[in-house]
Amino acid sequence: MSMMRPILAVLQREVLKLGRQRTRLIASMVRPMIWLLVIGSGFGAVLGSAGGLSYQQFLAPGVLGMTMLFGAMLSALTMVYDKESGVMRMLVIAPFAHYWIVIVKTLSAVVSALLQALMLLVLLALLGYLRFAAIDIPLLVLGLLLVPAACAGIGMLAAAFTKTLDNFAALMNFVIFPVFFLSGSLYPITQLPQWLRIVATLNPYTYGVDLLKHALLTGVEGRFAPEFSLGLDVTVLVGFTIAAVTLACVRFSGEAAFDSVIRVLTGKKAG
Amino acid sequence: MTACAIEAQGLQRRYGEVVAVDGLDLEIAEGEFFGLLGPNGSGKTTTIHMLATLVRPSAGSARVAGFDVRADAVGVRGRIGLVFQESALDRTLSVAENLRFAGRLYGLTGGEIERRAKALLELFGIADKFHAPTGSLSGGQRRALDIIRGVIHEPRVLFLDEPTIGLDIPVRRRIWRFIEGLRQRNRMTVLLTTHYLEEADACERVAFIRKGRLVTQGAPRALVENLGRHVVEFESADVEALLAQAQPTLGRGLKEGNTALFLHPHEDTAPLARLQEELGDLATAMRVRRPNLNDVFLWVHAGADLPGPRP
Repeated sequence: MSMMRPILAVLQREVLKLGRQRTRLIASMVRPMIWLLVIGSGFGAVLGSAGGLSYQQFLAPGVLGMTMLFGAMLSALTMVYDKESGVMRMLVIAPFAHYWIVIVKTLSAVVSALLQALMLLVLLALLGYLRFAAIDIPLLVLGLLLVPAACAGIGMLAAAFTKTLDNFAALMNFVIFPVFFLSGSLYPITQLPQWLRIVATLNPYTYGVDLLKHALLTGVEGRFAPEFSLGLDVTVLVGFTIAAVTLACVRFSGEAAFDSVIRVLTGKKAG
Repeated sequence: MTACAIEAQGLQRRYGEVVAVDGLDLEIAEGEFFGLLGPNGSGKTTTIHMLATLVRPSAGSARVAGFDVRADAVGVRGRIGLVFQESALDRTLSVAENLRFAGRLYGLTGGEIERRAKALLELFGIADKFHAPTGSLSGGQRRALDIIRGVIHEPRVLFLDEPTIGLDIPVRRRIWRFIEGLRQRNRMTVLLTTHYLEEADACERVAFIRKGRLVTQGAPRALVENLGRHVVEFESADVEALLAQAQPTLGRGLKEGNTALFLHPHEDTAPLARLQEELGDLATAMRVRRPNLNDVFLWVHAGADLPGPRP
């Protein structure tokens, strides 16, 4: 059986859901705005500008990445932990191998994050945080695809190798915040203490933010400039995404991977 | 001879030291309406999970709709429909959107799904709910939608795990008429588990399992007839004493609250009247009635040997 229709079904449902969850959508726009306005003003006063770039403009790739990080990770992780989700229940009994669930959910996480990123881009442009002349459109398109894919990959890994991440607060504290703070989103990582720099270098999301800097801050020199080569960013993001999704696929093909969903369906423990 | 829709040999499932299903053999013919009955924890659900490829058997083999549950799980899943106690519906979507989602997972086109969905909603009498939000449906309507979701791809075998649990009697009847209508339309095999034994009366055959093992199986009427002509119930303030005193005459009895139950295989009830006299004040009331499927269940549950030859 072709997987085309199942994939389309999951993607369409993700878009429908996004459109219906207005508060979630508004939150995903407000969150980066708070960072830009509040944190941006505060840090901007300390860090000043560099290479003709204000700190808030430096922050634009970081908050764009943040929207995709939150959007993709929440979409990817809820699949596994949301035992009440009817969609998960239908996927578990559907006629394809269970690793396909990882793939279709990764794709739908990318679509969800991409749509949220596009909306934020419009908002950033309207508020003057984008320097149009400095935007490299093909690179931006690449970033809008690779960054959510890597974020979904992080989410899938977290889902595959933990059992206790069953609530929103735990997810935020132990996965999403560390990934966000230990990247180059808020500050150039070359200025971090060595141990933090090492952690940030190991964080695949760091390369996602760097790719977005390449896309949005072309021609910028100095400490606010991208810190890795474009080739390295793309290689790390693609390599990490493939490795993470493959690992998650293997993990979710195993017996009992979807036990919790199956048990909830039955309305009791296996009897 | 008709082909087998479900056949299992020596099916076993262990969870650590616990054996949930212990060497189960089943043969269910194509088009048959089959009930799997047994007390809680008897292994019904684990059996269904193994047949539906959601849990791997620890030992033994099973084929469903011609596909091996171990070797071709995807093949099995494509030809079965599953309706569990908890619904598999997305509450944020409408009725139409839920069915479109479910149908596409089975590779159906939008046109096919809409045509089938409307016909099935019509069969349950809720065609007007096509565009309604799933959250606005009543309990019975949601159950019906879940069943429609389970049959939208026209499965060869439908698994119904406690399909009417939590619904009131008129709604349960309506759901059963609907399932009967579906069976007549699609000629599919149905494997049912239920707690409501009067519902299992409609099955062509039922199997009782206890502690993961098949205890008895056959047509409901034959199983009931096997129990004997009568069930005798004595009410007593001291059931244990009554059991001790009546067992030499009536054989092993069961204690159900303040009632003792016995099987009386003979048509002649005269000995019962004599027994009641002997028991005197120990028996505050005596009832003699025809057995039903509930009694089969009680005797299976108690682990008592069933009288008569096993069919």
